[in-house]
Amino acid sequence: MSRIFHQAPKARAVILAVALFLLTGICEAVTLPRTTIRALTLPNGLQACLVEDHQAPVVNVQVWYHVGSKNEVPGRTGFAHLFEHLMFEGTTNIGSDQFSDYVIRSGGVDNAYTTEDSTVFWETTPSSQLPVVLWLEADRMRNLDITATVFNNEREVVEEERRLRFDNPPYGTVVETLYQHAYGVHPYQHMTIGSMHDLDNARLEDIRDFYDTYYVPNNATVVIVGDMDPQEAESMIRKYFGPLERGAHLPSNHIQQEPPQTAERVVKLSLNVALPAFVEGYHMPADGTPDAYPLRLASNILSEGESSRIYRRLVYDKEIALEAQSSGNFTEDPNLFFVFAVMNQGHAPAEGEAEVEAELTRLKTQTVSNDELQKAKNQTLRDFILSRQTLQTRGDELGYAAVILKDANLVNTEPARFLAVTPADIQRVAQKYFVAQNLTLVEVYTKSAAGDKQAGEQSAGGQ
Amino acid sequence: MSSKRELWSAAACCRFCGSSLLEPLSEASFRRRRAAASCRTPKSAVFCLAALLFAALALARDFPPEALPPKPLVLPTPALRVLPNGLKVVAIERHLLPLLTLRLVVKSGAESDPATLPGTAQLVSALLTEGTSTRSASQISEAIDSIGGLVDAGAEWDESYVSLSVLNDHEDLAFDLLSDMVIHPTFLPSEVERKRKQTLSGLVVVRDDPDYVADAALRRLAFLGTSYGHPEDGTISSVRRMTPEDLRAFYNNYYQPSNAVLAIVGDIETGEAFERAQKHFGAWTNRAAPQIPAASPAVGSHRIVAIDKPDAVQTEIRIGNLGVPRQSPDYLALSVADQILGGPSENRLFKALRSHNGLTYGASSELLSYQSAGVWLAKTFTRTPETMKSVHLALEQIKRMHEHPITPGELETAQGYLIGHLALDFETSEDVASQTLELLVYNLPLDYWNRFPERIRALTAEEVWNAARQRLAPDNNIIVLVGNLSGFEKDLKKLGPVEFIPLAEVDFGSDELVPRGGQTRCK
Repeated sequence: MSRIFHQAPKARAVILAVALFLLTGICEAVTLPRTTIRALTLPNGLQACLVEDHQAPVVNVQVWYHVGSKNEVPGRTGFAHLFEHLMFEGTTNIGSDQFSDYVIRSGGVDNAYTTEDSTVFWETTPSSQLPVVLWLEADRMRNLDITATVFNNEREVVEEERRLRFDNPPYGTVVETLYQHAYGVHPYQHMTIGSMHDLDNARLEDIRDFYDTYYVPNNATVVIVGDMDPQEAESMIRKYFGPLERGAHLPSNHIQQEPPQTAERVVKLSLNVALPAFVEGYHMPADGTPDAYPLRLASNILSEGESSRIYRRLVYDKEIALEAQSSGNFTEDPNLFFVFAVMNQGHAPAEGEAEVEAELTRLKTQTVSNDELQKAKNQTLRDFILSRQTLQTRGDELGYAAVILKDANLVNTEPARFLAVTPADIQRVAQKYFVAQNLTLVEVYTKSAAGDKQAGEQSAGGQ
Repeated sequence: MSSKRELWSAAACCRFCGSSLLEPLSEASFRRRRAAASCRTPKSAVFCLAALLFAALALARDFPPEALPPKPLVLPTPALRVLPNGLKVVAIERHLLPLLTLRLVVKSGAESDPATLPGTAQLVSALLTEGTSTRSASQISEAIDSIGGLVDAGAEWDESYVSLSVLNDHEDLAFDLLSDMVIHPTFLPSEVERKRKQTLSGLVVVRDDPDYVADAALRRLAFLGTSYGHPEDGTISSVRRMTPEDLRAFYNNYYQPSNAVLAIVGDIETGEAFERAQKHFGAWTNRAAPQIPAASPAVGSHRIVAIDKPDAVQTEIRIGNLGVPRQSPDYLALSVADQILGGPSENRLFKALRSHNGLTYGASSELLSYQSAGVWLAKTFTRTPETMKSVHLALEQIKRMHEHPITPGELETAQGYLIGHLALDFETSEDVASQTLELLVYNLPLDYWNRFPERIRALTAEEVWNAARQRLAPDNNIIVLVGNLSGFEKDLKKLGPVEFIPLAEVDFGSDELVPRGGQTRCK
């Protein structure tokens, strides 16, 4: 894990409207307004990115801690997320669960989420609440106060969350199975929620250490987007976060990278579901790397919109699938590019896999037309514009760029990386990543169809 | 809406939530589905002295600073024009982003499904994007995708809609496409077959999703005798039977300019918006007046239904009580009461079930308020062994709401939330369009949202409690459980007569929840 999150310039960015041209065939220009970022670093290492936006008297505050489930060690899976829950449970200054009370009574909302790479706490509130929210975030960064009762209660809540998302819904464990087989070394092997076994064994004693290691100013980035004066906001950040002590022992990058896969892996699951399905995961590079951009556009070409290739072939023309999608799970370390489908009744996974294979082969053997690539780019730029609509999504993008991609200004410059992709780039990444030895495949059979009354998993490795 | 990285989660979600293969991953472990309110348990009640981890620091207690003076929220003012054919058009200018959103709403949705054909409204709306007299389904999707447009069509309760968002250099195409889809759909038999097949696959999948099953069963029982009781996406049997003629009949009856509203939101001058509306929708003609279903405010009475899914590890719990129609004078008072029982602000259910007892990840209540009927719903879920404890705790909160006045603190928090939250309901063009169209669908005044804060602030604790008390009947709840019955069957029977139904036998098309002629096991 790196110590420096982004190199955003300390000087105020020049206000400059940069036009992005969407070459739509009609040749009219659409401009994405430039985001002006005020970036700062406190002496204790805390980073902050501030963006003014006066659409409404509302402000979004996020605190990004650069710790996620990939920082967990075997036997302690789920700990980063469990800890996220505890951050709402009181400090030496405010009582258990009062945190949200302060936010809610003004009409605000607050929540948090944990991913493989980060833990993010956020509040969207009337802008008058900004000092209150910043005080609350600074308070829980260093003054957390957790009792055994609260700890045990939250562990049970998290276990319910696991049941809700994974163990009870149809297909709930499919993705977990895929990751277990696609990764052998890197901690992306386990889900952020953790295993029930590890959650059962989580101990209160581990908290202090985790808190002191990761919940420190030099591992945190504060993001504020909305109705505020950046200079005043900066003063507030200095006032509330400035006195916090820098963490002494932020671990260096200790995450072991996954060695290249050498043979296709196939897992067959028999589940209590109505329709067969399959999920393919191809190893691909990390987000922000040069190949990530053509891969994202390839994903649009394959399945964004009803005119996309996989949708057209599996869902519309052949009518063999209820749903068919591709999508990359782009993260800080290399992750998986997915293709998945839920088959219609009477159609086996293999039938869908063959059709997907045909589309991937087409991507590898024939260059896409300029028009089709332009369509994918237009969809991407539309998403950039749509994400500007809410303070929350603006904050999400800014925090992600700053912490995970390590350059906050990418919210302005990243569209150009997509526009620069050529048809040859698409072909090249397809040839490089969509190959059998790089693939882990999970096939899901319905229990009745498989004639298998026992929930089971059989590995049929390396074909 | 999907930003490029949210695309991951958006792409992962199938239209039918039950078949969302990647959902567990994409939701990134959100802490809670809705925010909790304060936990007022006194610390002294919790015996945890030895476990106070960081207690040594708790010497000098610090307090949060004062908030800054609040700034006023200025909501967008919609301009309204009625075209000669009766189509109501609202225009709202937003010039910060080069974006245009069009949303056309027909004021008839799933409640207008023929009694024997639930799901008709949804299938009709789904087919609007699948071919017009001059464009094939493929031509429509190609036209929208190539300009980076986003289209969505569907039917809910009291409305069917098509919305289209484009970058503002394609205004003309957007108006042209939307009017074509709304005015000239063809319901081609081959496209109907395709959508039917897809819809059936979706229905088959969601039958295994306990969350869906519980919602659908509660709806059936709570809206008994109204036109709101069937599943809005239909049943396997009804979708199998629907013909292109059925769909066309629904379309002819309800898709008429006098029964529709168009919202135009975004980077477009109001004058130009009205001109374009006239140009593209002016030639849309009315047929005979639509047959609107008769009002039927009756609501089901006390029943306990338990649906058996032996492989479930959690039990989905739903408790239904009387609510109010959307235009009811009590709607706002009940909204405040709903906040206190299980809304994002106070949420007594959340506190009792999650914060104090760790029984669940989520507990909430919501008002289902429609044109002519309403239900007040409480929902949660828990691990199988804790099913009855959770049911009792939820019932206890409903009873408490019925028997004890709400406190000034609870009232203040709920009011503060509802008023302060208004700004967040008007962030996106889609939000603005939906909030405005809701007013037109339910015949509410166009300044409704502007006056909302003062009306909420004026409510007293007494008014809020009265509104709640009139609807709650603590011994007359409708209760639906979906889970592994063997884990709680015996204790459930102590609540009263229970109808047990194996999951495979549930028929959402029947008031009895079992096929006509079938029988539930009453114990």
